[in-house]
Amino acid sequence: MSARPSVGTITETARQIKVFREADVVVVGGGPGGIGAAVAAARNGAKTVLIERYGHLGGMATGGLVNILPNLSDISGKQHIFGLTQEIIDRMEKRGGAFYPKKEHWGTTDRKVVEYYNNANMGNFYIRKDPNIGGKERVLYTAVVDPEILKDELNDMVQEAGADLLLHSWGTRPIMEGNTVKGVFFESKSGRQAILAKVVIDSTGDGDIFVEAGAEFDGSLDNKRRTAWLALITWVTDVDIKKADDFKASQPEKYAELIQELIKLGGYPHYMKGILKNQRNVIWYHSFQIQPEASDPKDVSELTRVDVRARKRALITYEFMKKHVPGFENSFIMQTGPQLGTQGGRRVIGEYTLSDKDMVSDEVFEDTIVVLANNDNREISAKHPALCIPYRCLVPKEVDGLLVACRAFSSTESFNQWFNIIPPCISYGQAAGTAAALALDASVQPRKVDYKALHKNLVNQGVNLPEVK
Amino acid sequence: MKTIKESARETRVAREADVVVVGGGPGGIGAAVSAARNGADTVLIERYGHLGGMGTGGLVTIIPQLTDIHGKQQIVGLTQEWIDRLIARNAVDTPKKEHWGSMDPELVKYYFQRSFFYTRLDRVVYAALIDAEISKIILNEMVEEAGVKVYCHAWGTEPIMEGNHCKGVIMESKSGRQAVLAKVVIDSTGDGDLFPYANIECQTDIPAHFRIANLAVCFWVAGVDLKKVMDFRQNHMKEFVDLMRKANEYGGQGGFMPSNLPDQESIVWFHSRYPNKSQIDVEELTRVEFLGHKIAGKTIEFYRKNVPGFEKAFLVLTDPQLGTRSSRRMIGEYWLTEKDLSNNQPFEDTIAIFPDLDRGQDSLDHPNMYIPYRALLPKNVDNFLVACRAFSSDMHVQDYFNLIPHCIAFGEAAGTASALALSAGVGVKNVDIKALQKQLAKQGVPLPDVTIEVNYKYEGPTLKTPSFIPPH
Repeated sequence: MSARPSVGTITETARQIKVFREADVVVVGGGPGGIGAAVAAARNGAKTVLIERYGHLGGMATGGLVNILPNLSDISGKQHIFGLTQEIIDRMEKRGGAFYPKKEHWGTTDRKVVEYYNNANMGNFYIRKDPNIGGKERVLYTAVVDPEILKDELNDMVQEAGADLLLHSWGTRPIMEGNTVKGVFFESKSGRQAILAKVVIDSTGDGDIFVEAGAEFDGSLDNKRRTAWLALITWVTDVDIKKADDFKASQPEKYAELIQELIKLGGYPHYMKGILKNQRNVIWYHSFQIQPEASDPKDVSELTRVDVRARKRALITYEFMKKHVPGFENSFIMQTGPQLGTQGGRRVIGEYTLSDKDMVSDEVFEDTIVVLANNDNREISAKHPALCIPYRCLVPKEVDGLLVACRAFSSTESFNQWFNIIPPCISYGQAAGTAAALALDASVQPRKVDYKALHKNLVNQGVNLPEVK
Repeated sequence: MKTIKESARETRVAREADVVVVGGGPGGIGAAVSAARNGADTVLIERYGHLGGMGTGGLVTIIPQLTDIHGKQQIVGLTQEWIDRLIARNAVDTPKKEHWGSMDPELVKYYFQRSFFYTRLDRVVYAALIDAEISKIILNEMVEEAGVKVYCHAWGTEPIMEGNHCKGVIMESKSGRQAVLAKVVIDSTGDGDLFPYANIECQTDIPAHFRIANLAVCFWVAGVDLKKVMDFRQNHMKEFVDLMRKANEYGGQGGFMPSNLPDQESIVWFHSRYPNKSQIDVEELTRVEFLGHKIAGKTIEFYRKNVPGFEKAFLVLTDPQLGTRSSRRMIGEYWLTEKDLSNNQPFEDTIAIFPDLDRGQDSLDHPNMYIPYRALLPKNVDNFLVACRAFSSDMHVQDYFNLIPHCIAFGEAAGTASALALSAGVGVKNVDIKALQKQLAKQGVPLPDVTIEVNYKYEGPTLKTPSFIPPH
């Protein structure tokens, strides 16, 4: 009895599938993009269904333990992302589940304040060097949120908006009529069923729906970029962080030696301290350190391999630190990410494809749907602190009835790597959901939505948009 | 019913194997490891990124009911191997071996206070509280070492049927829709997800007052000063009980359990029961997820404000998998029913013995439940086994014997039987039962002598504690 390689295909015969719902808009995937899309579509009057594979919403922000909303301001401290992202932070704030630099500190170069945030938690997400003022460090507006509270808050937001939610449901395949998407098939404990809709929004992160819809896309991933790396995040708790810090400070050579040994064993050398103010004893390990491996987040065998390996490395790290590093004596692995962390995947080829030149053009598109801070490109960031994103990068070429509202928006990989994180995805969703509702009102395809109406509607929702001449 | 036509298509075959196991919970682990160790080329398909099902992702981190009223360990095999591997990593808590079955009131009191799962019927019972995260790693190691090909993040959705033969399963994943072909298919989905497509006879009715009628949203709270909590409880019992009642009134949850694991003094565990219409109705699953998260949020709010020791507590984790207790139950080659709950004569094809501990005097009169191999076999499909809580049983048997160690045992038998059948070139229905039992015994599974006629009568002390339904 031995393993045999795969051979060809099997034929599945045609059959009748139960129609579970008929809706105006169906959003596939309840991550940041899907949340934005479902809430915006439902608030704009569309009968909306949101399908989510796991038992919670929030995607990477909750299940992936990537509970950070970075780059809400540019390096000077000017906030660009508002809309639903700000609404989520406001709601989380009320429940004690958000942490971010005080507004009066955004943009400050005050050493004391900078140091405070550097040490607060996940320091480097709050700080950027500003080449415009000789490379001095400044404080950014970036928020960290409690993933468990966020799960409940997102449930509330979706429900209050009136969207119909299906958890534990995996939207797998578009229902096509020629070049037009008419709904999706989804799998659940209730079996394979169909939802029919006038607009389908692909918020799967990976473009799971647009592939079979026949949309053109680019699936290439360069292993040198963050977008190609998979990450399984591990939280370790009951760490006496002060004791560990003291040890590091008093015996830096000994600590470095230990970490070298840990690296040899295959463990993770770096951790981030304290995720939230109420979680003082918690540290956070990312699994792609030190050297990320070639991987493919669209390949189930790779997802399996990385998940298994990352768990093993987490255990090596935990056992080693517990044994050797003061402060870790009573620590234990509190949880690993319920979702594997994926950072990139397929990118649709849309009506407009964003590329590196858009980082230096300062173009204000007539269909701008969000302004994003551009904080991670040093000199370019200094000269072009923010950029406009056009609606067209959510609209696939040729395929109708479909919008893409997740990190799979139309962009080159080099562009995508900077602007595929949580707050931009929420913004793409908010725009797509709004556009879908407007398209339905006007009885046109999403690509034909009136840009002026979309602009006006988004501004009314609190999205920060530039004047279009 | 409105339907839509899904057209015919070619689906890529990802792999061909001897055995494919759908679902990596306790049953699937048992099945995949046993099949592979016995030489079958085995594929395991798991929906989440981790193995262990309810035991890990469900935060039901308890392997209970391993010894019978005489203190004899009846569930060993792969269950014990999992526990042994946890012991090696200092990631488990159990009553000491010399105490199993003890009726010493002091010991019973000690263990009862330590964990609800450590005593039954006035006796100390062997049960293991396990570390969920370390278990995920251990289970990965077990399947890897056995040589199982695993697909995580993959959802085995449908059997590929050809008359009464199941040629494999359809698997959905980020790689798209694919097929895995196999000679034997094992349904360890917990819910018998493959049954409807394979026309396997089953029941789904569950009376509302049954344990298994409830869904659970378990969650963990960390940052607890447990000593302070326990001191408060001990010294201010009335006040404490009052607070727990108020927590419920507030919309949260009264009552929690300490983790008990080494170094986890700061963690407590909240367990719950949510009535529902069906655990295989996606709308009900969604509704209960919402409710459970809402209640978890209210719970932490209330405790932080009101319960001494919880001042700095935080909600660290709600279960990545919804806690499901039962749905489809097969009516297979042998259907275990209520009458089997008083049968003390082992079946000829017994593949596992389960201590019977939750039914008061009835349990004393029937200390062990025998499971026939036929309870894993559907009537109508010739190369199919069920190794999970969807085994052939009525609601009464299901209510007591669908827990984690039971499912591992179903899996161990099913996986072993598959490999033996393939080696012998026969179908799983025609596997040599004696050879199967011999192999299981070799793997450390206690089995009865089926040739002896049993005349059992309980002769121990009268029961002091009343019968109850435990909350697992």
